[in-house]
Amino acid sequence: MMEKKAIVKSESGIHARPALAVVKEASKFKSEVLIVKGGNEYNAKSIVAIMCMAAVKNDEIIIKTNGDDEEAAAVAMVKLIEEGLE
Amino acid sequence: MFGLFKKKKEEKSVILKSPVVGRCFDIAEIPDEVFSSKMLGNGIGFESTEGVLYAPVDGEILQVFPTKHAVILKSKEGIEILLHIGIDTVNMKGEGFEAFVEKAQQVKAGDKLVAFNNDLIKAKAKSNLSVLVITDNEIIEAVEFNLGTVDKNNEPIIIKLKK
Repeated sequence: MMEKKAIVKSESGIHARPALAVVKEASKFKSEVLIVKGGNEYNAKSIVAIMCMAAVKNDEIIIKTNGDDEEAAAVAMVKLIEEGLE
Repeated sequence: MFGLFKKKKEEKSVILKSPVVGRCFDIAEIPDEVFSSKMLGNGIGFESTEGVLYAPVDGEILQVFPTKHAVILKSKEGIEILLHIGIDTVNMKGEGFEAFVEKAQQVKAGDKLVAFNNDLIKAKAKSNLSVLVITDNEIIEAVEFNLGTVDKNNEPIIIKLKK
């Protein structure tokens, strides 16, 4: 199990377009990928979950990964959320 | 096996009413490939003439985006539906949108979800064309579309569920 903190940097938060990017990235990994926001866990491979998360700019989230490639997954997810979303 | 003839179990369907008064069209015409590519799921494009979004099914509101331009709801059969008003409307930061429902609220088909200013959207966002996406779900067997001019009574989408 790996946990990494990330801060949502995109101006409009994680709306439809970035949500799709999050799901696509998380789905590349074999590990389970969860995002924790406000005490709730959201499956990063589910578009409905990420849209329901409705993260806004400056939200602090925790990426939780579990599996063989958990480290690569956690690093990639943090990088995407902090640098890769519009 | 009990015999050669299998009894045909009753086909279960989920009927979606039109989310707007206006028109429903092929999702491939939406000017944003996040939706038109169907990567989020299959669905329809729609355009409202009156600026009101209605619940297409009985169900529960899973989320209303803080900018009020998107609503996610789950039908009582478990189908998760994303409604997204306009394209790039998130940038309007809620201006021109009024939400009538909130997370965890139960709704009936035809209930008012969001009111929005079409003219403002056309002026400030990329497009007022909107989307209803049926997110992928293993209980879905097939989806049928009835597109064209619609009012609240039309049934633009019929989802056949797996037996």
